[in-house]
Amino acid sequence: MRNSVVLIGRGPLFWEVKDFLTDYHFRVVTPDELSSEIRAVIDVETGVDEVKKHTLVQVESRIPSGVPVFTSALHRTATEIASWLKHPERVAGFSPLLLSEMTTVEISRPFQADDENVWNQCLLFWKELGKQVEVVGDEPGLVFPRILSLLVNEAAFALSEGIASAEDIDLAMKLGTNFPSGPLEWADEIGLDQIVAILSGLHREMGDDGYRPAPLLRKMVYAGYLGQASGRGFYRYDRK
Amino acid sequence: MGLGIAEVLAVAGYQVQVAELSPEIFERAVDGLRKRLVRQAEKGRFTLEFADTVISRIQPVYQLDELKTADVIIEAAVERLEIKKDIFAKLDAVTSPDAVLATNTSSLSVTSIAAATKHPRRVLGLHFFNPAPRMPLVEVVLGAETDSELAEAVFGWMKQLGKKPVKVADSPGFLVNRVARPFHLEAYRIIGEGLASKEQTDRILRAAGFKMGPFELQDLIGIDINFAASVSVYEGFFQDPRFRPHRLQQAMVERGALGRKTGKGHYNYEK
Ligand SMILES: NC(=O)c1ccc[n+]([C@@H]2O[C@H](COP(=O)([O-])OP(=O)(O)OC[C@H]3O[C@@H](n4cnc5c(N)ncnc54)[C@H](O)[C@@H]3O)[C@@H](O)[C@H]2O)c1
Repeated sequence: MRNSVVLIGRGPLFWEVKDFLTDYHFRVVTPDELSSEIRAVIDVETGVDEVKKHTLVQVESRIPSGVPVFTSALHRTATEIASWLKHPERVAGFSPLLLSEMTTVEISRPFQADDENVWNQCLLFWKELGKQVEVVGDEPGLVFPRILSLLVNEAAFALSEGIASAEDIDLAMKLGTNFPSGPLEWADEIGLDQIVAILSGLHREMGDDGYRPAPLLRKMVYAGYLGQASGRGFYRYDRK
Repeated sequence: MGLGIAEVLAVAGYQVQVAELSPEIFERAVDGLRKRLVRQAEKGRFTLEFADTVISRIQPVYQLDELKTADVIIEAAVERLEIKKDIFAKLDAVTSPDAVLATNTSSLSVTSIAAATKHPRRVLGLHFFNPAPRMPLVEVVLGAETDSELAEAVFGWMKQLGKKPVKVADSPGFLVNRVARPFHLEAYRIIGEGLASKEQTDRILRAAGFKMGPFELQDLIGIDINFAASVSVYEGFFQDPRFRPHRLQQAMVERGALGRKTGKGHYNYEK
């Protein structure tokens, strides 16, 4: 069935992307349920540990060489991820954040994706879903996730320095500069683990201390305060 | 900015004295205010009579010692530390020590301005956003010596005026100017590294929910203003790399491409 998509990942992002694809009438299968007839592989693992690499290598060994592989480039470059695979030319990085809300999808092109035809075939997948495709350069976090994670980082530094309360930080950013959401509530929505993954990925690739994640964010992730999904982040949430 | 704050207070019913350097400057500013109020009255927001009343509540003075009976003084003079320190030292000397002395500075240290007075406990920041009558946010900035009860009282007063105040500890950029830095600086880094174009960056951020992307927003704010804010926060944090300004930002300023006000900035506005 050409309408099957292999979805790799864990946590709330997995379920969000699964819902999104199901709404578009894809049959979403996990790597264990893999059949040979698939349209694409979508990997939303951030890849802070070895699971991402391991799973991608496993999945690749069981699919034809022409199936496009879209992989979350929030923590690593698409070029690095592509280097793990035997057929790196069909790999594209993407941002899984706000996938259903945004009319746009950010895609990054690894060095290895140097065949124009293969690349255009890859992009067709998103165009068929009605997404406006923005191909951007290949660095962790692409454009929106990178800017958002740095806004959250600065808000977290300000919070831990006692400059203002979390509520006041969010309120001030919405009223003072018209942000659609406060950075801390936005982090809770997206997941602090994702935010830290983007920051640490940028920190590693750029070697610039400007990307150093706020110690508060790291500790919140250690403690499992990941945001809405875990019931607690900068704010508390009733578990459903 | 000063007259915008005066408008907020006069609309709320207060008698406001405005200390200006000369009648010419004051009259020019009041003419502007009168036109704005008349336009709003014509739109039916209030009567022309109310507009007149508001104007009549705003009276100019040209010597700081004429402010000696004021309960609250909000300073919105030019953004220069020596000038503000000088103003605060004079106000400290002529007013009762119970009067509240506030500064509308957007980038200078409230603590340092307060240090020019003998009563730093009654000095705080009241950072309005431009235009003050329309922007509800006010950062109530507590300097190192600011009395917290006094700050609480001023906070409550701002709420009564219909503002949305937030309490902020004195630190470079206070809250909004600091936390918004990455929105601009990271956008410059992204284009500087050749990862995306300005148009693309703006499009992506709009798609993510921002009303404006960073480059179109800077054109509105003024690229020089935005650059000055970047430099000031960067220096304030002793050059922490998080706040490092970008060479492309400076290049825009050097070219005189400052945004809408000069007809060209990141985008072209010339007709
Ligand atoms: N413009 C903004 O968007 C904005 C926003 C928030 C805060 N602020 C702050 O408000 C203050 C004023 O900003 P602005 O943009 O209205 O500046 P401005 O330079 O346009 O106006 C300053 C006014 O203060 C008058 N003034 C009165 N007494 C003075 C004295 N003793 N010495 C010098 N000038 C004196 C000047 O004549 C001038 O009309 C600054 O501290 C600024 O940081 C401005």
